[in-house]
Amino acid sequence: MTTAFIEPPPPWAGGVYSIKRHGVTLTNCDSEPVQTPGCIQAHGALLVLRMSDLVILQVSENARDFFGAAPEALLGKSIADVVSADGARRLRDFLGKEPIDCNPIYVFTQPVADAAVPLDFFVHTIEGVVLLECEPASRDTPDYYALVKKSIARMQTAPTVADFCRAATEEIRSFTGLDRVMVYRFHADFHGEVVGESKRDDMESWLGFHYPADDIPKPAREIFKKIWVRPLPDAAGPPVEMVPLANPDTGRPVTMTHCSLRGSSVMYTEYLENMGVAASLTLSILCDGELWGLIACHHLTPTHFPYQVRAACEFMAQVVSLQLRGAEQREALAYRLRMEEIHNRLVAQAALDVGLSSLTTATPNLLAAMDAGGAAIFHSDLWWCVGETPTEAQLDELKEWLVLRPEFLSATQPAYVTDSLTRDFPGGAALAGSASGLLAAPLSRRNGNVVLWFRPETIQTVKWGGDPSAKPMVPGPHGPRLTPRKSFELFTESVRQRSLPWQPVEVEAALRLRLLLLELVVSRSDQLAEKNADLTRSNEELDAFAYVASHDLKEPLRGISKFAHLLLEEAALAEGMNRQRVDGLVRLTRRMDSLLDSLLHFSRVGRATLQFQSVDLNEVLAEALEIVAARRQEIPTDIVIPHPLPTVTCDRMRAREIFMNLLANALKYSDKPRREIEIGCVPLAGETAAAAGSRPVLYVRDNGIGIEPRHYELVFKMFKRLHGRDEFGGGSGAGLSIVQKLVEQHHGSVWVESTLGTGSTFYFTLAADLPEIL
Amino acid sequence: MTASHSPFLLVVEDSDEDFDTVLDAARRAGLKHEIRRAATADDCLRLLGEWERARLPDPALILLDLNTPGTDGRDVLRIIRQNDRLRVLPLVVLSTSANPRDVEFCYAEGANAYHAKPVDHPAHLQVLEEIFDYWIHRVTLLPSSY
Repeated sequence: MTTAFIEPPPPWAGGVYSIKRHGVTLTNCDSEPVQTPGCIQAHGALLVLRMSDLVILQVSENARDFFGAAPEALLGKSIADVVSADGARRLRDFLGKEPIDCNPIYVFTQPVADAAVPLDFFVHTIEGVVLLECEPASRDTPDYYALVKKSIARMQTAPTVADFCRAATEEIRSFTGLDRVMVYRFHADFHGEVVGESKRDDMESWLGFHYPADDIPKPAREIFKKIWVRPLPDAAGPPVEMVPLANPDTGRPVTMTHCSLRGSSVMYTEYLENMGVAASLTLSILCDGELWGLIACHHLTPTHFPYQVRAACEFMAQVVSLQLRGAEQREALAYRLRMEEIHNRLVAQAALDVGLSSLTTATPNLLAAMDAGGAAIFHSDLWWCVGETPTEAQLDELKEWLVLRPEFLSATQPAYVTDSLTRDFPGGAALAGSASGLLAAPLSRRNGNVVLWFRPETIQTVKWGGDPSAKPMVPGPHGPRLTPRKSFELFTESVRQRSLPWQPVEVEAALRLRLLLLELVVSRSDQLAEKNADLTRSNEELDAFAYVASHDLKEPLRGISKFAHLLLEEAALAEGMNRQRVDGLVRLTRRMDSLLDSLLHFSRVGRATLQFQSVDLNEVLAEALEIVAARRQEIPTDIVIPHPLPTVTCDRMRAREIFMNLLANALKYSDKPRREIEIGCVPLAGETAAAAGSRPVLYVRDNGIGIEPRHYELVFKMFKRLHGRDEFGGGSGAGLSIVQKLVEQHHGSVWVESTLGTGSTFYFTLAADLPEIL
Repeated sequence: MTASHSPFLLVVEDSDEDFDTVLDAARRAGLKHEIRRAATADDCLRLLGEWERARLPDPALILLDLNTPGTDGRDVLRIIRQNDRLRVLPLVVLSTSANPRDVEFCYAEGANAYHAKPVDHPAHLQVLEEIFDYWIHRVTLLPSSY
């Protein structure tokens, strides 16, 4: 054994420890040799015998009270001198037959010397010696077996751990008759919580109180892993020292771990005294080899714990230990079912909604099932919070940190779970108030979608037993140094910025909810994909329909045109009025023909496949300008190209058509004596834009008539014209619809900015790359 | 060149008005040829088959409307161009629209010309007159083997 740091040597260094001699000088309760205390309690006597010949090696200094002889008179004598030859023989038989190593067993009751009452004897062996304990025999003991049997039946059906613990305390108190019985549960950091209590009506309840870990220090916890029952019938009783203090054969102190008479630490007796407790009986609760908790029984006056009571309590401690897991499982199951039921409702509710906001805004919400102080969900770039949560800015920071956590990548348990966020998260201290504890699960790492539950600092949520800020500290007889409460301030420091831990069942429920939400999101995107496919199909059908309809409508229109012309030839002689009407018929056929042409063109734009290639837009613009050249000559027109256009990936023919249509419009809708058309790219053209990776925004600007803002959308509608049929050179009103369709085929967008009377600027982008998938 | 029959044109056209316009344009173009009509693509194929079996001469020119009821004009074009005897016949496609896909298809399948039929009657007449003028008066057609 090595010690990592230098401690001052204990006062008993080089000798053997005794509570009586050294107890009050203790400086560190974690180093007290509680298993070799050198003393026993005063209500009994202890004999240490050599295994081979049952010769008395050590005896407690109160030997005269029990055996009528001074300790020194007994040392070196045979045990037969104390319990008679018959007793010695029975003891020897017992040692040969029974499994008594580290396991005290009742041997016999027998009058000794001139004692008023006979003595009960218990024996066990340890480290090569025989420990024979005795105490005055008890009388008139009830049938503990029947009582315990009834208790077990009751505890077996308790639905929750709390019910189970309450039942255990009530049953134990009923057959021990003690003033207070508590179930004291250890948390992961070994601080304790009273989770079950049965007490005298006139006593203050300690149920729900939390106690610092130092109240049951580590050496004590180690002993409780080895024994079931620890009686202390008179805490104020004087410690009784062993004579001699060390085994003369080995020079070592006797190990009293299993002795019911083992002397108690001064720390503990003063602790009890501070609480006004005169006697205690402590039972261990062990689950899977770990100390789950204790059953602490207090009595306000000194009492006796006869052998039968201790045996019944030992049996109860074992039963509680065995059944506790069952109760925990029943409770966890009920908790899980409740959470699952509520989470199912949450998801069903969210499914009716568009987003996930109902998880926090509706009833029930994310807090309904989980025992948490607050919850938040990040979805569609928004935070939805309920209960006590950090601010949105803090949540953003937390989310950025969370999405990089390795826990989020886990295939089996993608969740970050902590009861002390500040230990991992640099900004955790600022969040400690509402979010000392965090249970976080990713919904989508790419979009940073997460669902979070928060737990506040423990210190804010629990009642602290003996909180010095709540009541004045009671100093012990040896000064404040020795009272366990002194450790309280240190303790609060240790639980600062920590929450109650998350239970496995809560993590499971969170992960299950995560899967349900993912399914919901996936099914939504499935629906969306389905709708998109439907839309694509119906668009294609519409294009096909437009094509067929406009194509087939032309045939009768040709017939109408023919007859109108035939009529016109004949009407040359007829009255002016008739001629006008036939003229109108001809004009209408021409107009309808032009509409059908536009419709055909529009439908063709939709049906053809694009051929993407690297295209120099300067070339495309030059071609487009050439095509519309005829129009340019009608009115003087200045074409301005301030910077060369970039080279982009697009369909060359369509890019040209976009420019053609926009140029044609710019030329057409003008009321100025001199037209100005500027074609450019914002913010930058050429390599800079490519390097920046941004889509170039192209524009065609005119000094024409302009468009009112309320018509910005309208101008892109099929066949929608803002002006009279024959104003501005007529036209079908399909040009901008076609532009919009062409731009959309490039996954770009087109929009207009305009000032009425001053001019319009049409902007558009071309992006050959596919849009980002969800 | 001795021929037992005078040369004739075959016009595949389902619309009575359009066929009437064809006749009108032929008259205006001063065409002497007989003009036979197939109102559907199936009629057209049937007639061509009958003439072949009867060892009658083939038309000097075929005017084919692309959008015919029943069998499509495109199929007629393909069948004619896959037939060893008929593939040499001059064939002019007439269609309501100049859909690039149709245009490309027809030329790829061996049409000699593709014309869109204007809706405006005078323009329509003019297109047809020009077709006749070109194909009957200016182009050297196949010597008839009959």
